[in-house]
Amino acid sequence: PLLTDEEALLPAPQNISILSTNMKHFLTWSPVTVPGETVRYSVEFQGEYERDYANEIWIPISECSLITVTQCNVTEDISATVPYNLRVRANLGSRSSKWSTLKVLFNRITTFLTPPVMEVSTDGYHLLVKLEDLGPTFQFHIFYWRKGQESWVHKKTVKEISSVVHLDTMEAGAEYCVKAQTYVEAINRSSNFSQAQCVRGPDG
Amino acid sequence: AELYCSLPSPKNVHFESKNLKNILDWSPPEGLGEGVLYKVKYLIYGIGKWIKKSECKDISRTWCDLSNETYNHEDQYYASVKAFFSGNCSRWTETARFNPLTDTKIDPPAVTVSSTEKSISIVLTAPEKWKRTPEEESVSLYQVYSGLQYNVSVLNKKTKKRWVFSIKNNTLVVPRLESNTVYCVNVQTYVTTPLLLSGFSKECCIATLKD
Amino acid sequence: TGNKILRFGPCMISMNVNEIRASFTAIKATIQAKDAIRTISILSYPYSLHNFNVDRCCIIHHLLRFYVDKVFKHCETEDSHVNRKISSIANSFLSIKKKFRQCNEQNVCDCGEEAIEKYKQILTNYGQLNITSAAMKSLGELDILLDWMEKA
Repeated sequence: PLLTDEEALLPAPQNISILSTNMKHFLTWSPVTVPGETVRYSVEFQGEYERDYANEIWIPISECSLITVTQCNVTEDISATVPYNLRVRANLGSRSSKWSTLKVLFNRITTFLTPPVMEVSTDGYHLLVKLEDLGPTFQFHIFYWRKGQESWVHKKTVKEISSVVHLDTMEAGAEYCVKAQTYVEAINRSSNFSQAQCVRGPDG
Repeated sequence: AELYCSLPSPKNVHFESKNLKNILDWSPPEGLGEGVLYKVKYLIYGIGKWIKKSECKDISRTWCDLSNETYNHEDQYYASVKAFFSGNCSRWTETARFNPLTDTKIDPPAVTVSSTEKSISIVLTAPEKWKRTPEEESVSLYQVYSGLQYNVSVLNKKTKKRWVFSIKNNTLVVPRLESNTVYCVNVQTYVTTPLLLSGFSKECCIATLKD
Repeated sequence: TGNKILRFGPCMISMNVNEIRASFTAIKATIQAKDAIRTISILSYPYSLHNFNVDRCCIIHHLLRFYVDKVFKHCETEDSHVNRKISSIANSFLSIKKKFRQCNEQNVCDCGEEAIEKYKQILTNYGQLNITSAAMKSLGELDILLDWMEKA
């Protein structure tokens, strides 16, 4: 189809995609370059509700309205486990390009979950673990076992990370190993396990 | 009939709620100084009939205890305040809709700690819902919030290491400690949903017995 | 984290209530301020939703549909931030509604006379107002619904 003068001058952004890691979702796209000009971009989203119940309306993301960077944090708006559509267009003065829309709808269930950063320590006979705080959406499944008793693994679920978490009391002279994975209940998925770390208790 | 009122209104009219004890609180209107009197009314949302609070008629203080009137924490409420000063009055000024269940703040639990040579035992008592009379049977916030739990923080004063336990029941025994060592405990009440978080209880330190 | 397995009769639904509560808390004052009618409640009077403890499955099934079909679409405001939060809540309800459909197909979600009567009362309350006021009032009462949903 023939492009109008306006569109010929301002092509739509290309290569739009979602980068989603640990429930943080970013829309990215390739820049539209117009020599000597600053091109700006605006982003809108549409959830399954809008498509099926609200006349397919699109909702603007104000933080990503007329921005110059080619990335938008859409985490706050992708807040349900349903398929979302996203679109971006270029703006130059009063002119706007066509919208570019995701090729495939995005559901946060596909987010990439990284193994948690974990630090195991002891305080006397007490086995302790410190985990990185990934926000309220995350829980941690912590597995620990006494070396030599690999078949008897204990599991503890930790929901709120505020500081060092007490895992268990150790036997004298025994070595204990710990590994953890994150778990996101909203999407019912877990990460891979962190590298196991082993520590030894006092000899008694 | 409503008088014509031109006084500035009381400000920041809101409920201050702790453990479902619900106090209506406000700031005086600007520029009037001493001698301002107030009256208070409230309503149950959905019924909508304003009810005057007789004990808070012509009062000079800037709070009014509406705990009794808002005792049913499954209802929602509005309250309103009017100021009077040297023959003049202000308009009624209302609170936002008050939902006791989600808008209250909660206390940390009561904490008692005992020790043996190698362990400490921590017993927690959940904060109670405000009672209309001392004789009334206590209602623990445990019964109001099914998701109530505790974050117990234990500090080993010798190693300076602090560990946290998350527990749902109200007792915790920490075994295999060092004898003759001081351990300090403070505890936070934590409701998962609606999300309510108390401050930490006062630090309670105890020494394990000597060998 | 506020994710809970909520029981509604035979149906056990995992949902993140805190995500919905956070979105609602962000817009509660704005939405409730638009509702000046204190004499009518959609969910509280004359029957308080908190007293619906029979046929919870039936009631929640109807209320999810009520909010998705009748409420959210009539709540658009002039405030983009509020609209985004309403979208979050609406899409979360849709997600829960879909989970419910799966459960409903497997189980019989009994609707006794009492439950039907009470749901009719909710529709009667809703019908007393024009569509926008009724929808805005219903949205403003979301915490009543969430409080009830979380009762064991």
